[in-house]
Formats: sequence, structure tokens, C-alpha cells
Amino acid sequence: MRCLAVFAVALASAAVPCRVAAQSFGVRGWAGTSVQAVEMRPVAPVADGCAVGTPCFLPLAEELAVAGTQDVSLTAWGLGVRGLSATLHLRARAGLGSDFAWPRADDHFDALLGYAQWVHGGWLVRLGRQELRSGLGFSAFDGGAVTWRQRAWEAEGFAGRSLARGLRRPANEALAGIEDFLPDESAYLFGGAVRGRFTLGTASLRYQREILADRSGLASERASFDGSAVLPRVRLTAGLDWDFGRRIFGKGHLTASAPMADGRWIVSASAKRYVPYFSMSTIWGFFEPVSYHEVLARAGWSATSDVGLWVSGGWRQYGDTRTTVVVEAMRDTGWRLEAGGAWTVAPTWTLNGAYHLEWGPGGFLNSVDATMRWRASERVGVSLTGTSFQQVEQYRLGDGRAYGGGLSMDADVTSRLSLLAGGSMLRHDRRGDGVASPWNQARAWTTLRLAIGGEAGRTGGMRR
Amino acid sequence: MRPLRSPFRFAGAVAVVLGLAFVSALSARQDPPFPHERHVGLFPVCTGCHQGMDGDPAPVAFPDPSGCAGCHDGVDRARVSWDGRVERPSNVRFDHGAHAAGLARSGDPLPECAACHSDPAGPRMSVDGGPQLATCWGCHAHQRDEHFTPGPDAECTVCHVPMANSGFPLERLLALEPPPDHGVSDFVSEAHGDMAAADATRCATCHVQDRCASCHVDVSREPIPSVAPAPPGMQLPEWESEYPKPGTHDVRAFQGGHAPEGGDVSQCSTCHTQDSCMSCHLQPVPDAIVDLPARADVVAPGVEFDMAPPETHGAPFFLSAMHMNLAAVDPGSCATCHTETFCVACHDGPSDGGYHPASFVSRHQADAWGRSQECATCHETAAFCRECHEQSGFASQGRLGAGYHDAEPIWLLRHGATARQSLESCASCHRQSDCVQCHGTLGAFRVNPHAADFDAERAWAQSPRTCIACHTSNPVGSGA
Repeated sequence: MRCLAVFAVALASAAVPCRVAAQSFGVRGWAGTSVQAVEMRPVAPVADGCAVGTPCFLPLAEELAVAGTQDVSLTAWGLGVRGLSATLHLRARAGLGSDFAWPRADDHFDALLGYAQWVHGGWLVRLGRQELRSGLGFSAFDGGAVTWRQRAWEAEGFAGRSLARGLRRPANEALAGIEDFLPDESAYLFGGAVRGRFTLGTASLRYQREILADRSGLASERASFDGSAVLPRVRLTAGLDWDFGRRIFGKGHLTASAPMADGRWIVSASAKRYVPYFSMSTIWGFFEPVSYHEVLARAGWSATSDVGLWVSGGWRQYGDTRTTVVVEAMRDTGWRLEAGGAWTVAPTWTLNGAYHLEWGPGGFLNSVDATMRWRASERVGVSLTGTSFQQVEQYRLGDGRAYGGGLSMDADVTSRLSLLAGGSMLRHDRRGDGVASPWNQARAWTTLRLAIGGEAGRTGGMRR
Repeated sequence: MRPLRSPFRFAGAVAVVLGLAFVSALSARQDPPFPHERHVGLFPVCTGCHQGMDGDPAPVAFPDPSGCAGCHDGVDRARVSWDGRVERPSNVRFDHGAHAAGLARSGDPLPECAACHSDPAGPRMSVDGGPQLATCWGCHAHQRDEHFTPGPDAECTVCHVPMANSGFPLERLLALEPPPDHGVSDFVSEAHGDMAAADATRCATCHVQDRCASCHVDVSREPIPSVAPAPPGMQLPEWESEYPKPGTHDVRAFQGGHAPEGGDVSQCSTCHTQDSCMSCHLQPVPDAIVDLPARADVVAPGVEFDMAPPETHGAPFFLSAMHMNLAAVDPGSCATCHTETFCVACHDGPSDGGYHPASFVSRHQADAWGRSQECATCHETAAFCRECHEQSGFASQGRLGAGYHDAEPIWLLRHGATARQSLESCASCHRQSDCVQCHGTLGAFRVNPHAADFDAERAWAQSPRTCIACHTSNPVGSGA
């Protein structure tokens, strides 16, 4: 709640008389109510253990996990000071079904975002709960950020109380009870970034450090470079981060993409490096996970104005794990292939399909998906989906194929109110494989969304 | 035929438009013309009725209708209904007194009224409504071969008053023929602006300011104020607004960086209202946009946009492979059109964003192992993955059960390589304490999980608390 207090203070500052004219007051945003239900099939290991090729798990009673989510997202401006706005995104959650708790359903309330922002000239000042998106991933914090823009250059500085990755509370609070060896204190996040726009493209350099509140240790210290360049025929994007704590390069990528044949083709090639990132507050990072390097190629073809096809493929090689080989070496390569297309069969009918094949350490997936969408009217759309997949999990379950289908509809009930609802079924054909437990699953979901306020040029103000 | 002499250009040129005046007057006449020929024996001179038209600075151009009743009294002559000359629309600039004065200054004799107003070959007082253009040009030569050709010595204002002062009815407005130079291909996009900047009075000859305001958003911008607005009651046609795209806007990067230098939006306000900008820019909009007029406050609609994503967004792999880099490199660009709640809707969404296919829960394993996308971008491993895995019975509760990992009997001896390859997957089921059972100094096997080049001193300096999770004391100092 402290972030809300900060937010309130920031809003109160709007009452301070200002000599510059302000925009008239306005609010826009949305409120959404979602309910999802998934049929879960928990298992329990066979008490006495099992031999290879015999059932190792016993299916338990089916449970229905149901989660309700209520979101309210608002941005207000015209608060008496020109350039001042306030953004707030609140979320409430509740588990509505059986004892099977939807992940984080017991975390009943979150202020996902809550900040006041003031833009004046080349300055942007933000105060409250906010989120950074960069080559280092998402980092949320309660604090302040200042950005200064001057022509092609931009500099940013930020500092505040760090919030756990993907959560909206300090790690020591959010993960209490579900994670071991947590520090007692929260952490502070601070850092800065410099960005520049050049004739050929844009580049960004960022440094970010996270320390425990009592300064007894470092949670992370990383830097990243991200760049994008548009050459006459090729767009290049690149990113690479450096982990000061582990003294290694983290994730990185270099991608070149180019339109060809008057834009009817777009091809791209990438080189990628992936290393998992762990906070230094956990022991995982000191277990020295290795990277994998991957080459990827993609191509998209607009065959006609109604038909588009795409294909992508990648091959990856894991680094040397420097572990003792027992019996046989673990697989250290993987590859993936995806292909798909979209066909506008008729002005109101579109067909999308995709095939996905993946094979690497840990898992194998062979799947095909198809969606037929019918635009019944300006306000109503209906989608029919079908799916089939086969997966082999190297370390747990056996073989099998699953078939499924679903039906969903979306409707603009009014210019401000939209409804999304659907359901799907999945049936697992075990093909006599006694090892696997069934993955049969039914799922249903509905979302009601209300647009608040509006802006010129936007239909119903539904854009988020 | 002699050219106009510049000192008296204006006065002399009025003769040119004398004919135009009458042409205009005739075409707009509302009453039957006065039958001059029937009064030929009654009025010896024109100035008897048209007093002072021969040079008086304050002439009385038309007689009082009451004078007609002197003869047309209903007894000797039938009464007549002529009630005086009605002011007739004209865009011709002509003043009899100034004309006479000009002639006097140049030493030229004042022509007889009939020289311009009567058919020279006809009887006296065969007033036919006024001189034709050729009559004017009998004395005055237009300084261009074509009537519409502009030039410093042939300005429209020499002969014409602004259209706003003409009183032209709608049909006469619509009947005006555009000059040839209006037909050039870039007239709307480029040429007319240059012409107006060079001489807006020329525009005003045929246009009222309302014509400018039908397209131009900011009519206070020069030279538009130089064109007089239509007076109240003047009927105007319905103009269609036309906004050709300037060449500058076709530059590839224009959409990504069109902020005017120094925030000066005066050029933008030719075509754009705030509303144009807000088709894409989020509220609160940048200062520069606030300086533009709002659509509700101006006549012109301004350019209306449908929100169109930039070129980058149309790439087939934008969502899966491109957008993260762009967001990292230039978050300000994203913020032009998206609030951060837009990101949250997918990255921390209640699964209504449609990011994963509907059956993803059932088949996310391969994607998770391969890390084609970074799960941790949106999901905290312990709170999201492990919480569900534990409830589903997929995660270990303490020491490993025999059924896990395909029931491989020697899995424990082989797991190191897999752990280093996909430690995030391990962490989605296992707690740190699971590992410490064997790897910790108090564990069963005290297996060192660090690589040979592990820098223990550095690790201790950076995060001693984490070291103690396995070592119970300073591993550097104690050698544990």
C-alpha cells in the first residue's frame, strides 16, 4: 500500500497552482472481469515406486481450478498541471473453485502499476509503482525515475524499492513460504540508461544494480546493450547483457531481417544466446547454469492479399556442462521447426493454422493448431479451434497424443462493452501407454471488458 | 493604345474595368433596366439624373425615384414602380470620380458617358447596360496576354475588389473559372501556398477566407488573414477538404520521428488538429500537440487518421521475435501509443490476452525446456510454476520419488548436466533445499555444484548470505 501512498502524494501535487495551462481533465482506461476454469488432474507417485515402463503415478480425483480476476486500469490527465498524468492498474484475484488453487489466486490484491508522471519539455519524471522493460527483462519497483530527452539523446535514472520479478511485492514478502533462504530484507533497485537515435538506428545502454536493503549483499548487477539499425535493405536488431555478479555474458541476440520481392517476402536470420538469470539471493546462480546458442531462420510470404505463409526453424547447442558422464551423455542439442499460414477465405472468414515441431533436452513436441474465425457481424466474431499434439517429456511422463477443440466468441455488446467467452476440450489418447496419466482437460473462460473514457480516433476507446 | 503610366496606374486602370462593372451589373440586374431610349427627348444630358458622374468627388449616381412621379403622376402618365437603383453585385473596382481625376492628371479629356455606356453606332441614349471589356481596353491595355496571368504590373486588385466585398450570389461564385495556374498537379499540395505567400490579395479576388478555412486548421497563420472572410449572409458552396500528403511525410522514418524541431507545430497546423495527433498519441499528449487547435474549435476537419501501426508491427514475427528489442531500445516510441497497462495486459495478464494457445497449459513443457521465450519475463518461477506443479503432484516434496524423471534408476547420478542446461526447469519443481540436501556441506554427499573456475571469494563478497545456505559459514575462510 505504500506505493498507493506515493501515488496519492503525486496526485496531490496536482493541486499546486501552476503558471502553465493544463489540458482539460480526462480519464481513459478499462475495467475487465475475467473468470477461468480449468479441469486439473493431479497425480501422486506410486507409493512403492515403480520400475521402468510401469505406471509411476496414480491419477487423483479431478479438480476444477477456477480463478476470478478483476482489473481496473486508468490514466487520468488534466490534473491542473500541464503534462501531469496519473496511471493506475489494480488487480483483484480470487480462487473460486476447488482446493486446487490457481497460481497466485491467494494473492488477492495487487497494484500492478500506480504512478504519477510529469512531462515537461525534455523531462519526464515518474513517481510511484512502475515497471522497466529492457534487455534485462521486466523490473518493477516503487520509486522514482527521471528521463531527460534532448534531440537524439535520452538519459534515464531510476531508483526505488525492488519488487520480485513477475510479482508486485518485495521478494522477501512475496515468496515467503514458497522459497527457501530468502533474505529478511527487501532490496533496492537503481540504475540508469542512455539511449541515442542515430541516422541508421537506435541504441540503448543500461546499467542496473539491486542490493539488499541492509547492504549485506548483492541481488544482481547487470548491464545491457540493445540496438536497432535500419539499413537500406536490412533491419538489424541486437542485444546483449553482462552479469557483473557472475562475470558472464547473459542473453544475447543478433537478428537481420529483410523484406524482399516488394515486401511480399520477409526473411530473417538470428543468432541467439540464452542463459538463465537467477538472483544472487538464490543458490541457483552459483550452480553455474550454461548457455545455449541457437541459430534461427524465419521467412514469411504474402502469397496474395488473402494468403500469408511463414516458416521458421532453429538449431541450438548447449554449452559444456563440465559434469561427469555416467552411462551416456545427456543430449546437448535441440531444434525446432514451425510453419503456419493465414488465409482470408472470404471477407468474413479467416483460417489460421500452425505446425510446431520441437525436439531437445527435456521435451519433444509435435503439434498442429487451426483456427477458423467467422466475423458474423461488425460486432460479433466466432472462432472455432482445433488442436492435436504429441509430446514426450524426457524426465517424467510417457508418450501420447492429445486432441482438442474449442469454441469462442467475442462481441462488442456496446461501443464500450465487450464480451469474450469460450471453452475447449482436450482428450488424451494414451495409445496403450500405461506410463502416462490422462491429460484430459476441459476449460472455459469469459471476460467482460468495459472501456472508460475515450479519445479521438479510437473506436470505443478500447485500445489499451 | 498606350500603356498605363505607373503614377496613375490605378486611376487609369479603372477604365479597363468600367466595362466589367456594367457586365457585372447587367448579369445581376434585378429590376427591368431603365428605358433610356424612351426618354431620349426628355433628358438632354446624362448628368441630369446621374449627377456628378463626370468628376464630382461625391456623385449621386442615380436619381431619387420620387423624381419619376413628376411626370408619371397617374394622370398624365401612368405611375411607374421603379424604386431606385438596387446595389448590384460586382467585383469590379471602378470609381467615376477617380477615373475622371486620373484622366485630368494625365491631360486626357474626359470621355462622354456615351463613349462607354452607349452603342457608338446607335442612337443617343441607347444605353445597353455598360461597356464590354473591349470598351475598357479601347483605351487601356491589360499588361498580360491572358487575363489571369499575374504580375506586378497586372495585379488583380487594380481592377477587382476582394470577393468578400463583391456581394456575389452563390451562382456567380460557382460560375467563376479558375485561372490556368490552378490546374498544375501540385497546386493544392505546394503551389497554392507559394502563390498565397507571394500575393494573398490575388487569392482574395476570387476567394474568401472561408475557403482557406475549409482545409486549413489554423487560419490565423499568415497569409490566410490577408484574405477577407465572407460577410454575414454570403452564400458559400460546400467545399470538400483536401489534404494531400506532403513529400516530407513519405520519408520512411517519418512516422517514428515527426516531432517538429523545437516543438514548433505551426507547420503541422496547416492540416492537423490535436485530434489528428491523438489518433495515435496517448493522453496526456506531448506539449507540442496541445499547442495545436482542437477539432471542435476550428472549421476545417483536419486530417483524420485511422490508428495505423508502424511498419515494424506488420512483420510476421513482430510479436514473437521483434517487439521486445524495440521496447528495450526505444521505450519512448512504444509510449507514444501504448500505456504500460498495454504491456501488463499480456505480460501479467489474466490470460485474456490470447498470447498462449488455449491448450498451452497441457503442452507448455517443450516450450519451457527450450526457452524459445523467456517464461520468467511474465511468470515468477516459484510463485507461478512451482505452485501449480506442487499441487498437481509433479513437483518433489523433499527427496526425489522414484517415479520422477522417467523412473530412471540412476537419474541422480546423471542429473548434473541437465541441471546446468535447464536450471530454470529444475527450479519449477524443486526448492533450493532439495539441492542442498546433497550439495550442502551438511548434505548427504556434499557434492560440489560449482565449476572448477568458480570464484568463491567474489561470491562471498557479493552475497555471503547465499553462500551460507549451503556452507553454514564462510567457505573461503574455513575452506568448507
